[in-house]
Amino acid sequence: MDTPAQQDRHGRGRTHHRRPLRLLLAAGAAAFTLTAGLATPLNPAPERAKAADDGKKVLTVAVAQSVDSLSPFLAQRLLSTSIHRLMYEYLTNYDPKDNHTIPGFATEWEPSADKLTWTYTIRSDSTWSDGEKATAADAAFTFNKMMTDEGAATANGSFVGNFKKVTAPSPTKLVIELKKPQATMAALDVPIVPEHIWKDVDDYAKFNNDETFPVVGNGPFVLTDYKVDQYVRLKANKTFWRGAPKFDELVFKTYKDQDAAVAALRKGEVSFVAGAPALTPAQAASLKGEKNIKVNEGPGRRFFALATNPGAQTKDGEKFGDGNKALLDQRVRQALFLSVDRKTIIDKVFQGHAVEGEGYIPPRFSTYFWKPSDSQKLAYDPEKAAELLDEAGYKLKGDQRVGKDGKPLNLRILCHATDPNDKAVGKYLKEWWGELGIGLTVNCLDDVSVPWYAGEYDLAFDGWSVNPDPDFVLGIHTCAALPAKAKESAATDNFICDKTYDELYQKQLAEYDPAKRADIVKQMQSWLYDSGYMNILGYPNAVEAYRTDQIKSIQTMPTAAGNIYGQDGYWSWWSAVPAGDTSEASAGGDSGSTGAVIGIVVAVVVLAAGGILIAMRRRTTADDRE
Amino acid sequence: MTTESTAAEPAASSEPTDVDSTAAENSASTGTPKSPRALARARKRQSLARFWRAYRSHRSGLWGLAALVLIALIALAAPLLAGADAQSVTDTPGGPLELPSGEFPLGTDQFGRSVLALLVWGARVSLTVGLLAAVLCVAIGTVVGIVAGHFRGWYSTVLMRVTDWFLVMPTLVLAIALATVMDRSIWTVILAIGVTTWPTTARLVRAQTLAVESRPYIERSRALGGGHGHIMLRHVLPNVMPLVLAQTTLVISSAILTEATLAFLGLGDPTITSWGGMLQDAREAGAVSAGDWWYLAPPGIAVAVVALAFTLCGRAIESVLNPRLGVSR
Repeated sequence: MDTPAQQDRHGRGRTHHRRPLRLLLAAGAAAFTLTAGLATPLNPAPERAKAADDGKKVLTVAVAQSVDSLSPFLAQRLLSTSIHRLMYEYLTNYDPKDNHTIPGFATEWEPSADKLTWTYTIRSDSTWSDGEKATAADAAFTFNKMMTDEGAATANGSFVGNFKKVTAPSPTKLVIELKKPQATMAALDVPIVPEHIWKDVDDYAKFNNDETFPVVGNGPFVLTDYKVDQYVRLKANKTFWRGAPKFDELVFKTYKDQDAAVAALRKGEVSFVAGAPALTPAQAASLKGEKNIKVNEGPGRRFFALATNPGAQTKDGEKFGDGNKALLDQRVRQALFLSVDRKTIIDKVFQGHAVEGEGYIPPRFSTYFWKPSDSQKLAYDPEKAAELLDEAGYKLKGDQRVGKDGKPLNLRILCHATDPNDKAVGKYLKEWWGELGIGLTVNCLDDVSVPWYAGEYDLAFDGWSVNPDPDFVLGIHTCAALPAKAKESAATDNFICDKTYDELYQKQLAEYDPAKRADIVKQMQSWLYDSGYMNILGYPNAVEAYRTDQIKSIQTMPTAAGNIYGQDGYWSWWSAVPAGDTSEASAGGDSGSTGAVIGIVVAVVVLAAGGILIAMRRRTTADDRE
Repeated sequence: MTTESTAAEPAASSEPTDVDSTAAENSASTGTPKSPRALARARKRQSLARFWRAYRSHRSGLWGLAALVLIALIALAAPLLAGADAQSVTDTPGGPLELPSGEFPLGTDQFGRSVLALLVWGARVSLTVGLLAAVLCVAIGTVVGIVAGHFRGWYSTVLMRVTDWFLVMPTLVLAIALATVMDRSIWTVILAIGVTTWPTTARLVRAQTLAVESRPYIERSRALGGGHGHIMLRHVLPNVMPLVLAQTTLVISSAILTEATLAFLGLGDPTITSWGGMLQDAREAGAVSAGDWWYLAPPGIAVAVVALAFTLCGRAIESVLNPRLGVSR
C-alpha cells in the first residue's frame, strides 16, 4: 500500500486512475475465467496408488500435529506415540475387534499368588532391524532405565512408579516385582527399546532419537527419515513376526491447514487425512459425494471437556496462579455447568459428529463407561443455575452477578487457537453465561501450556485420548501428579487434588478383578462429575477420509464402526492393503495443469503491466502528441 | 491547543487554525473593514468550496466517497438492518451452511446465522478498527515527523533512526508479535496496527516540515519571538495538515486490510464479528475445501471494496491538496 502511494506522490505528475484500473479489472477477470476453466479438470484426475519411481507402494497420511519427540521416553503427543507403536513392540497389544489384551512382545503373562510378581514370556521370533535378537534383556533395560533415570520417566513414568525390581533371568523371561499390586500390568503401554543402541545415550531428557537413520526397532515399520514439521518416513519391516505390512513405505506428511490436506486428498497427493482432531462437518459432507473417497466415522477415543481451576498448588500445598476465587465454590462450578446446553453443542458445533457428554470415560470403552443418575445429572437448567448462584452469594445486580466483595463475576477461559471447536463453543458459553450475568473472556492461544502450567486461568477447554486401560487419564487428577515446584510442567491435568479421589485411585490400581475395578473407576467418575471440576461436553467422533483407489482396505478399531488414525495399536497401517496395480498415469497431468495455471497468471500479469506501462507512456507523451 | 500561545498571528500563517466562534458577529458585513478572524473564516470557507470543486472533478474520488457514505450508513444502522441478535449463536434462524435463498440472501454460516447480517455487523468492527488504527498511526507519525523536522541535530537523528528501524521491520510480523503477546481484543489489534505503520507518515511529515520551515515567514516569526511550540503548532502543523489528511485516508485502507489479515490469522477477538474473522471462521469450518463460496466471498469482497473506496478518496484528496500533484501543467 505505502510504496505505490509514495511513488505517485513524488512521481510523474497527475495520476488518472481510471484506465489502469479498468485494465487491471479486465486482466483479473480474464485470469479468473482462465483458471476457473482449468479448475474443473484439475479435480477429477485421480492418481492411482501412489508409487515412487521404483514401483514402491507408498501410503501417505496427512497429519496436522507436529512430532514433539521421537524418543519413546519423551513423546506424549498422539502422532509421536502412534509412530512409536509402529517402530517398537510393546509387551502387550489390544485386539482390534474389542480392545481386549492380546500378546505383543510378550506371549504370556502371569501374576504370582501374592499379586506382587509378574512373569512375562518374551517371544523368541522378534529381531531388531539391525539383525540383533530382541530379548527380555531389552525389556528389562527399558523399565530399569525409566525407574532409575528421571529423564527417561518423562512420558511413561507413571507405569513404573510402583515397580520394585525388573530382571531378565533368561532371553525369553521377564520378571517384574511390585511394591503394591498394580492392575495395569497387562496394559503397560511402554515401547521396548534395544539395549545395545540406547545404553550409549547420555541424557535421556534431551536425546530425541533423531540423529541416526534408520532408527533401530522391531515394530512393523522402521523409521528411515524425519524432517521437523515436514514428514516422518517409515519403511516396512519385512521380517516383522506378525507378518510384513502390505505397503512398502508409510509417510506422515504435515499439513498445518486442514483445508490444504483435504485438497491434497482430492488430488490424490495423500491417501489419508486424519483431521485435527477430525474433519469438519462441512468437509466431511463435501467429501462424502466424491468418487474414490471414503469418509470413515467412528466413535472417538477423546473426551472434550471444560475444566475449572481448583486453585493451582504444588505437591507441598504451595498455592500459585490466579484462578478466580469464585470457582472454589462447588455451587458456582455446578451453576456454570447447569447453564451449558450440551445437546445444542453436539447439534450445532459438531453437527451430530459427536456424542453428548456424560461421564469421564467415552462410551466406546463400555467396561468403564459411567452415566450420572437422573438425580445426579447436571442437565441444562439455567433457572436452577441462577438459584445456585444466588445461594453462593452472587446476586444479580442489573445484568451482572456481583460477589460479596462488590466485584462483578467475570471469568476467563483458555482456548486452543488451533481448535475451531474451542472457539465455537466459546461463543455459546459467552451467551449462556452472559444470560446468567457472568462475563466471559475467551482467551485463545496457540500454546496454552504456559498459562496452564502457571495456573493462570479460570476455565479451560480440555481433552484427552483415553486408552483401553483408563489408569493414565485417572492418574492425572491425583495429588501425586501435582508439580513439585510452582509453574513447572507436571503430569497433572488440572491441579485437582482430593483425598477421596486419591483413595479410590489407589484402590482401583490394586484391584485385579476386572468387574470390581470397573466399579471403582465408575465411583471415581461419579466423584469427578459432582465436584464440578470437569464438565464433559461430548465425545467427538473420529471423522477421517481416505482414497479407495489407493487403499483397498484398512482395519478399523473396533472393527465395527471404529476409527483408523490414532488406534491403540498398529492395526490400521499394518493391515492397509494397496489398491490394485493399475498402470501409472499420474503425476504428469497434475503438474502440467499447475504449470498451465502459473503460466496463465504470469501471462496476465505481464499483459497488465504492459498495458499500464503503455497507458503511462501515452500520458507522459500527451504534450508531444498534441 | 497550545500552552504558550501568545497573541495569535493569523496573518502570518497561511492557514490559520483558530476557529473561535466568537468572531461570528462581524463576519457578514462586507463594506466595513473585516476583523482578521472574519477574514480568516471567509477565506477558510472559500478554500473549502475550492477544495470541494476540485474534488468533484475527480470522478473516482466521488465514487469512493459515495461507497464510503453508503457503507458507513449501513454500519451505523446495523441493529435496524440486521437485527440486534443477528450475531447470537444460541438462537439462530437457519441450518448450518445453507445455500443463498430468499430468506438468507447470502446463505448461512456454520452456526446457521445469516451471512448477510454478519457482514453488516462486521462492517462496524472493520470500519472502527480501520479508522482508529489510522488515527493512531497518523497521530504518532505526525508528532514524530514534526518534532524531527523542527529540531535538527542529534535529536532529529535519533528520532529518524528509530523511524527507520520501524520502517524496515516487516509490519505484519511486528503486528503479529504484538497481537500474540497481548490479550486478544479489538484494542490490541488497533494498537498493533497503529504502532507498526506510522514510520511512512513520520517521514512524509518530516519532509513537509523541513520544506515549511525553510520559508521566510517562519524566520520572521522566530525573529518576533515565536517559541518552538508556537512555530510547530501554529505554523508547521496547519501546513502539514492537508498532507496528514490525505495520508490518513490512505492509511485507513491498509489498516482495514491489516485488521482483516490479523483476524484471518486468528489473532483477533474470536467473539467479535469482523470481516477478517468471518474469513477465519469460514476457513476453520472447512468452507474452502467444501466449496461454500457464499461464506467466503462476501467478507473478502467487502474488505476489498472498503479498502478501494478509501484509497480512491485518499488519492483524490491528495491530488487536490498536494500542490505538486494538484497543478497540472
